[in-house]
Formats: sequence, C-alpha cells, structure tokens
Amino acid sequence: MTQATPLLSLRLSVDYPDKPSVLRNLSLEMYHGETLGLIGQSGSGKSTLALAILRLLHLHRGEPRGEIWFQGRNLVDRSEREMRSVRGRELGLVLQSPLSALNPALRIDTQLEEAWRAHAEGSRDAARKTILETMSSVSLPAERSFLRRYPSQLSVGQAQRVLIALAILHRPALLIADEPTSALDVITQSEILQLFQRLNREFGIAILYISHDLLSVASLCHRIAILYDGEIVECAPPSQIFGAPQHSYTQKLVAALPRGPFLDFHNDKLGSPASIADEDECAERSAKLSPR
Amino acid sequence: MRTHRLALLAAGFLLAALPAKPQSGGELRFVLRSEPKTFDPMLVDEEASETIRYLTGGVLIRVNRKTQALEPELAVSWKVSEGGKKISFRAREGLLFSDGTPFTAEDVAFTMQKLMNPDLHSPTGDSFRSSQGPVRVTTANPRDVTIEFPAPVAGLERLFDQVAVVSSHSPKKEAAVLGPFVVAEYKSGSYVLLKRNPLYWKKDARGRRLPYLDSIRLDIQQNRDLELLRFKRNEIQLINSLDASYFENLAKEAPSAVRDIGPSLDSEQIWFNQVPSAPIPDYKKNWFRSTSFRLAISEAINRDDLCRVVFGSHARPAVGPVSPANLFWFDKSLQPHPYDPQAALRRLQQEGFRLDGHVLNDPGGHAVEFSVVTNAGNKYREQMAAMIQQDLEQIGIRLNIVTLDFPSLIERISRTFDYELCLLGLVNVDLDPSAQMSVWLSSSSNHQWNPEQKSPATSWEAEIDRLMQAQASTNDQNQRKRYFDQVQKIVWEQQPFIYLVNKNALVVISPALANTSPVVLRPQTFWNVETLYFSNQGRGASQ
Amino acid sequence: MKFLRQTAAVFLVAIFIATLFAGILAPAPYARQFRESPNALPSRIHLLGTDELGRDLFSRLLYGSRVSLLLAPAASLLATIIAALVGGVAGYVGGWIERIALAGTDLSMSLPWLFLLLTVRAVLPLNLPPAASLLITFGLLGFFGWAASARVICAGARGLRNSDFVLQAKACGCSSQRVLLQQVLPNLRPVLYAQFLISIPVFILTEANLGILGLGVSEPLPSWGGLLRGLENWSAVQANPARLAPLVLLFVVVSCFQLVMPQEDFAS
Ligand SMILES: Nc1ncnc2c1ncn2[C@@H]1O[C@H](COP(=O)(O)OP(=O)(O)OP(=O)(O)O)[C@@H](O)[C@H]1O
Ligand SMILES: [Mg+2]
Repeated sequence: MTQATPLLSLRLSVDYPDKPSVLRNLSLEMYHGETLGLIGQSGSGKSTLALAILRLLHLHRGEPRGEIWFQGRNLVDRSEREMRSVRGRELGLVLQSPLSALNPALRIDTQLEEAWRAHAEGSRDAARKTILETMSSVSLPAERSFLRRYPSQLSVGQAQRVLIALAILHRPALLIADEPTSALDVITQSEILQLFQRLNREFGIAILYISHDLLSVASLCHRIAILYDGEIVECAPPSQIFGAPQHSYTQKLVAALPRGPFLDFHNDKLGSPASIADEDECAERSAKLSPR
Repeated sequence: MRTHRLALLAAGFLLAALPAKPQSGGELRFVLRSEPKTFDPMLVDEEASETIRYLTGGVLIRVNRKTQALEPELAVSWKVSEGGKKISFRAREGLLFSDGTPFTAEDVAFTMQKLMNPDLHSPTGDSFRSSQGPVRVTTANPRDVTIEFPAPVAGLERLFDQVAVVSSHSPKKEAAVLGPFVVAEYKSGSYVLLKRNPLYWKKDARGRRLPYLDSIRLDIQQNRDLELLRFKRNEIQLINSLDASYFENLAKEAPSAVRDIGPSLDSEQIWFNQVPSAPIPDYKKNWFRSTSFRLAISEAINRDDLCRVVFGSHARPAVGPVSPANLFWFDKSLQPHPYDPQAALRRLQQEGFRLDGHVLNDPGGHAVEFSVVTNAGNKYREQMAAMIQQDLEQIGIRLNIVTLDFPSLIERISRTFDYELCLLGLVNVDLDPSAQMSVWLSSSSNHQWNPEQKSPATSWEAEIDRLMQAQASTNDQNQRKRYFDQVQKIVWEQQPFIYLVNKNALVVISPALANTSPVVLRPQTFWNVETLYFSNQGRGASQ
Repeated sequence: MKFLRQTAAVFLVAIFIATLFAGILAPAPYARQFRESPNALPSRIHLLGTDELGRDLFSRLLYGSRVSLLLAPAASLLATIIAALVGGVAGYVGGWIERIALAGTDLSMSLPWLFLLLTVRAVLPLNLPPAASLLITFGLLGFFGWAASARVICAGARGLRNSDFVLQAKACGCSSQRVLLQQVLPNLRPVLYAQFLISIPVFILTEANLGILGLGVSEPLPSWGGLLRGLENWSAVQANPARLAPLVLLFVVVSCFQLVMPQEDFAS
C-alpha cells in the first residue's frame, strides 16, 4: 500500500481576494483505497482544500497555486472540459450541509439522473437501474415513491445518504466528504460513518474525510492529517495521533478529548477499520427510524 | 352676506311684476380651453386670444353672428370701390378709448398701417394680402379714411370684423380698447379677468350704457369633463361647442340649459387619395380616380344612421363644402347623396365591377379592399369609420380601419401620400368662400386629394380653378355666389371630398342669463355679450 | 384551497370552451350593428345590452375573450421565455455578461417605444387583415415586454448562483448549461410564474392603448382591451352597468390563473 504511486498527491497554496494564504504550500498524499481523515478547526481551510482539489475554488473566488496529481495526472493542467469528466466520475464530493446541497426544486430521482447523465449516456431505464443500485448501496429504500420525493420531504440523514449516492453514482476513485456528519444527530452520525466504511471496503473508494471532530474519524480512517495554520502539521495513523501526538496543536486536540474507558487507542485493532460491527443491521434500523 | 341676498330676493319679487328690464352688474364666467397666446389683437391666431379680442376690441364693421350680415360699428358708413381694391370709412364721432383718448380716423389709419407691416407677421394682416405691393392709407380729415390695396381683395369688408382698432397715441398702446370690456387681470395658466369698459360707446334702447355685465372671468381650463362639472356646480354660465356625448349627459340633468342650435359650419368628410405618385397599386388608383366609384361609395354610406347613431341625432347629413348654416353661400338646390346601396352597386357594375358572392371584384379581378386612416382618439371618427365599414360590406367592399396619431396621419396624407382613404373633419370659421381658396385650387398644398398639381389633372378640377379665380376677382356678391354655387355643384357631382355630416352646434347656457341668443357662428353663446345680463334669480345664484 | 383551485380550473376551462364556441354561443355576429338600438340596456335579445353602434356586447365579449385569452397568455409566455433566457443567463453567469445584460434591459426599458412602434406601424402595410394585426400586436408585446421581468429573474438567478446545490451539481460533473437549465431554472419557477401572470393583464391593457398608434386589434374585431376602452365613456357605464362585464371577467380570469398556476409544490 505504501509503495504504490499515490492516488492523490498535492502541493497547494490558496489565496482569497480579501484573505490571502488560507493554505500555504500544503502538501498531502493519499493512496488507493485509503481513508484519510483531515482534521482542522473551523475556518482552517478544509472546505477550501476540498474545492481546490475539484478545481471549483473559482466559484468562491479563491485562487489556488501549486499542483494536484491525481491518478497520475496533474489536474491543474486540465482544461475545464477535462475537469468536468473527472468530477463526479473519478472524484466525488459530498458537501457539508445535506439540505442546502440538494436542489429544493427537483425530485431526488431527477437530481440523481442529472448526475448520471453527466457521465453516461443511455435510456432512462439504464439510469434508473444504476440509481436503484446506488440507492440500496447507501441503504436508502430503492422505491419509486421514495425517489419521487422532494428534498424537503427527507430527513437530514436520508438527505445525506442521497448526497452520498450522488457522489458515488459513478464509483469514483476518490470521495471527498466535507464534514458529512456535522449536521446530524449522534446515532445518524455513526450510521453515516459506517456507510462510508462500507463504501470504502466494498467498492475500494478512497475517502478524504474532512471533519473538525477527531473522535468521529478515529474509528473510520487509516490515517489522520492535522491541518493547522494553512499547513498539514502532522499526518499519521490514529494510534500515533492519539498515542503520541507530535505537534503541539495535535497535542492540544487530543488533550481536549473527553476520556472514557472505551477509548483505548493503544489497541492496534483500530489499524483495520473494517472490523466495526454489523453495519447492515444499522442500515436497516436507519431506514425504520427515518420519518415518513 | 345673508341679509344682502335676502334683500336681492325681495327686490326680485317686486320687479317680477314689471316688464323685463335688464339688470346691470354681475360677473359672467366661462372657460378658455387653452392659454391665450397673445393679448395683441394683431397677432391673434388661436381661439383663446380670439375670444379676448372679440370681447375687448372695437371693429369698424361687425358680422352680425345671427343674421350673418354686416353692421356698422366704429364706422358709420363705408364704401368699396375699384372692384374691391379700395375701401373708404367714415368714422363714428365722439368715441373714446377705454383710457379716455379720443377715437379718430387717424387711429384707423395707424391700425391698418401697423397691421399691414410685413415685419409684424400678423395673421389678420395676411388675410388682406392678396398680392405683393404697398397698402396706401390716407386720412382726408379726422372722420374719413381710405385704404387702397395693390389688388382686389375678395370679401374685403368682412375681413374688418377681425381688425380691432388700436389707438395711435394712447400711452397704453393696445391696452386702450374700444370694445365693451377691458383686460383687468391675467394670471398665466389660471384666469383672465375682464372688467366693463365704462367708456364703451353703445347704449341700450333706454339710453343705458352697455354692457350690462360688470365683469367676465375666463378660467383657463383644458379638461372638458371639468368644464362640465363646473357648469353643474354653477361656477360657469356658458359652454361653447359641446360634444354630443356631453350634451346628452347634461341634457338629463339640466334640460333647460342645453341648446342644439342646428348644423354648424364644421363638416366631417372622407376623400380618396388621387395623387399619381402615391405608393399604392395602380388598379387602386384607377378606382379612386373614377367618378362613378366615388359616387357609388357616397351612395353606399348611410348618412342618416351616422347622424343618429354616432351623434345622437345632433348632426345633419352633409351636402358639400358649405354648410346650410352658412345662410348666404349655401347652394339650396343641392341635396345630400341619398343612401342607396343598390344604386351604388348598379353604378359599379356599369363600370365593370362584379359582385361575386360577398366580394366585389374590379374589372381586373382584384377584390375591392382598401383602408381608411383617421386620427386616433377621436371617438366619433372611429365610430363613423366602423359604420362605414359595415355599410361598404353590404356592397362587397372590405374596408380596413387604421387609426393613427395625428403627426403620423399628417405625414401620410400630405408628404408620403401613403394612404388610400382618409376620414377627417374640416373646421370652418369663415363664411366667405375665399377662405377655402387653398382647398380648391389644384396648385395648392391644401388640395388634399391631389395637392400641388402643375396643371389640373382633370377637366373638372380645371373648371373649379377657373370658378374660384373668377369669384375672387369680382366684388359683386351675387355674381360670386353664382360662381361658387357652380363649384359646389361640381364637388357634389365629382365627390373628391365625400361629405358625411355637419355636426350640430351644441352649447350650454345657464338659465340665470337673460337675453341669450346662441348661434352657430363663433363665439356662439356670447356673440351679443354686451346685452347679456343676469336675471334676478340668476344674480342671486351667481353671487 | 384545493376546492378553490378546482373551481378556478373548471371556470377557466368553461371560459375557454365558451370562447372557442363563440360562433355558436354568440347571439349575433360581433360586428353586426343593430342601428335601431344603440346603447341598449340588457334584455332577452341583448344579454349585456349593446354598445354605441348597437353591437351586441355579449357576443363581443365572447369573441373578445377568444382574442385576448389566447393571445395575451401567448405573448406573456413569449416575454417570459425571453426574460428567463436573458435574466437567467445574466444572473447565473454573473460578471461582465450580467452587467451587459442588465444594461441591455435598462436600455430597452428606457427606449422610446412610442417611436419604435410608430416606425413599426409605418413599415407595415395599411391593409392588414384584422387577424394579422392581432398577431403582430401580441407578437410585439411579447418581444418588447420582457425587460422588466428579466431584471426580476436576473436577481433570482444571482441568488442561486452561489448556492450549494449548484456547487454540488458542478462537483458531479454537470456542465454549466445543464446546471442552468436543470438546476437553476426550476428554482426560478415561482418567479417565472409570477412574471407570466403579471404580464397577462398588462398586455391586455397595452393592446388597447396600441390602438392609438394604429396597431392593436383593429375594428371590427373585439378584444378585451378594446372593450375596456369602452369604459372610458363613464355616463354610458352608469346607464348600463353590465358594460363592466369585461372588467369583471378580466379580474376573475386573472385571479383564476393565479389560483390554478402550480405553486411551489416542492416546498409543500
Ligand atoms: N469566498 C471566500 N472569500 C474570502 N474568504 C473566504 C472565502 N471562503 C472562505 N474564506 C476564508 O477562508 C478560510 C477558510 O475557509 P473554509 O471554508 O475553507 O474553512 P473550513 O475549514 O471549511 O471551516 P468550517 O469548518 O467552518 O467549514 C476562512 O477563514 C474563511 O473566512
Ligand atoms: Mg468547511
């Protein structure tokens, strides 16, 4: 795993017109099938980084400099047209707030179909088939009536799953999830975390999991990167982050965690995240719990 | 205030037993429909200024608006000589201008010299200018004055009805007047106040100085609805030239105030475009130039219906260029073309037109269809057009109605000639046919159906040219009338203008006013302003 | 609410059918002048009375509804589509394109339309059949009536430009055009409906005023605008209040449109 060419390897600086140096020569590497947690406090530039990788930062008037090597190509050199074929097909993005990221005026099947058509051609049935498959893989009811709903008729957890379904419709090699659980209650949060884990395991999708919550990523990620002051100050497996934090900021983060008997990070078990128990059961539960 | 009014009422009861005796005093009010552009009687060229000139100016000869005959005013007598080139006046003696300056023949001479000065550009002066050359004015003595024009002027004496005499040496210039009223106050955009001229020379039969009224207040008011409303509120006592629809409206509320005084001088007419260079198809030009075609159209129009439906019977079918209201000049032998669609159709069939089903086709197989243009916003014209449309449909002709804003309409009928039929009205202020000279001469730009012809396009236009010239070059009124009757006859036969209706003159007069005698000639209601007075009841109401 | 909506729908359908069958339902041809009874009061023969020329007002209302009900919405649709394209693109793309588009709408709102329309009239032949002048009139209204709507729509689109779902759609690889058409426009639907609805009565009334320029629906064809112009004669209205029928009908129809139009059902 460590010897292969990285899936993603970047070196980036980002300026905003009225806020320069949000990211300062930040460098990061990710490998195929890896789950990387990116931790940083609010305003540290996590979302900026996510958008920069997709080369959508101009929408927020940010100016990135540097290089983004993804699957052997430098995305910075790609034309907009080439980027479009990368986005959604090889690189998926799940945004922070599930309700505003779904179009309130469109039924969810329309939105899913739109995303499907962005990279595929074919009949409605072909689209429908992929959509239904994806729906069940994110543990949503694969029913017509459900697909006909508008976002306002979904619970937040369901909306988040729809968003994930949108992002993985084309089985991207890398999924960037920008604080996907920050809007959710604890139970739903853990269900979504398990969903990500399963996607990673079943489809081999690498996940860049952005969060400001160290605990929630600990169980999911192979490695954790700490973003501070525009740079990655530390990047290591959870055991090391929790066991022997190097950087003073990381130390502060770890020290701020509530301590409990169930948290034993010295146990190497965490190195294999797949060991988390029975997520299918959880999925079922979530379907039942969801309102309507 | 209250006791004062009671006292007046009591006086009224007492006087009721006596024979009607004119009461002096009171203020007459009516509106000017536009701002008067000038108070100088020589520069008058619109109605508001003309009203003020009529009320304040003294003239040598007055056209009696009722009898339409000439009456001596400042001149006790006059004489036209040399075939209408020369006129001599004998001035009335012992008259004073409103400021006390005496009136002499010298003032007449001064007035005429000033009026005829080309630099003044007086519209009134222009009506005397029949040809180039100086006007010679001579005063033999303080009573006699002679004016000699370079060439004969048709209808010369009548023109003096427009000439208000100004003083040659009064320091107040044209503010010194010889008429019954003087301008006392003027507030631009608001009102003109006229006060009685205490030095006015006329007296009534009992020897009392005229006018009876103390003052006249003329409020400047464009809006006709407001004018009507103000009459209903008793704020004004007279309305001239009322619309038929307003008339009906008021007739319900105040039947004693409204008066229909019969056909006016104004006419409504249509005419076909006969301009050879007009941008319309040749076959259409052939229709429009055909006398039979024009006559057929005239016969197909139901003029009685137009009068009854559109004008609520306040109009008469029109015969020709002269309204029956013009007592002397109207040719009584002529009748309006009768409504007879069958005759019209026969006439067209003789010309080779064919009625196929509901469509009339010309000899060349073209369906007869043309458009009428008229000015937008004139309800009566729009309605007349709609009725004519229906009438012509009866003989298989399709008429399209196009309403245009006035400038576009004028552009089409007088510059581009891009029209086929036009519906417009003609406002006549002058009784004398010389005023219509520019309409009938084929070389004139106002010869609407085919203006500015190098030489007359048709023999009948040549004949009209000849007759118009002939009537202008003699001063024998009966001879002139014979010439102009022939013109009317030709127009009746040829129908270059298809006359539709003469609108009736409609006026409103408060019952409070006595001695009223409205006429069709302007200024309809107050032509006899000097003898108008408030009856007793009326005076109470007008306080 | 649902009941109201259904009633409105039934009413609209009824009016549409009535106007389509005007030829059968109308007691008299719309141009027929009963010259013996101008300004008649409502009676068994003339349900709403007659106009100044004795034309049956009920028949004219039926035919006038046909003209106005078909053409005003069509013109409004045209105007709204143009406005949606101009305003939508401008607001969505932003930057200098937005500035140019807004300058364009401002310009078109400040243009001396009077003179342009006069020019149009000058170019058109005088002998236009009524049907042609009708189509041209409403076509002109559609083509020229978009500017105000475009501004509103542009403001709406600008608000959506930075929304998360647009970002999400782009992150899914959707092209700009598709995002505009498939994501932004549906969100503008309520604005578009509103603009569409507002334009209908405006166009109906403007048509009446165009008559002054020799455009508009020409005699003897009736239109709501023309019939409403008849209301200027207030004394005639006082004499026969049934003359207000076109105004009432206009009001009712516009209200019904308002009720029937789909609301933002995605936010129910
Ligand atoms: N469009 C923008 N223009 C200017 N500055 C911006 C813009 N977007 C973000 N920033 C600034 O850049 C910094 C990083 O923002 P970013 O949204 O990436 O932070 P974040 O780590 O995602 O925070 P959060 O946890 O709150 O989502 C912030 O300080 C923010 O103020
Ligand atoms: Mg963020």
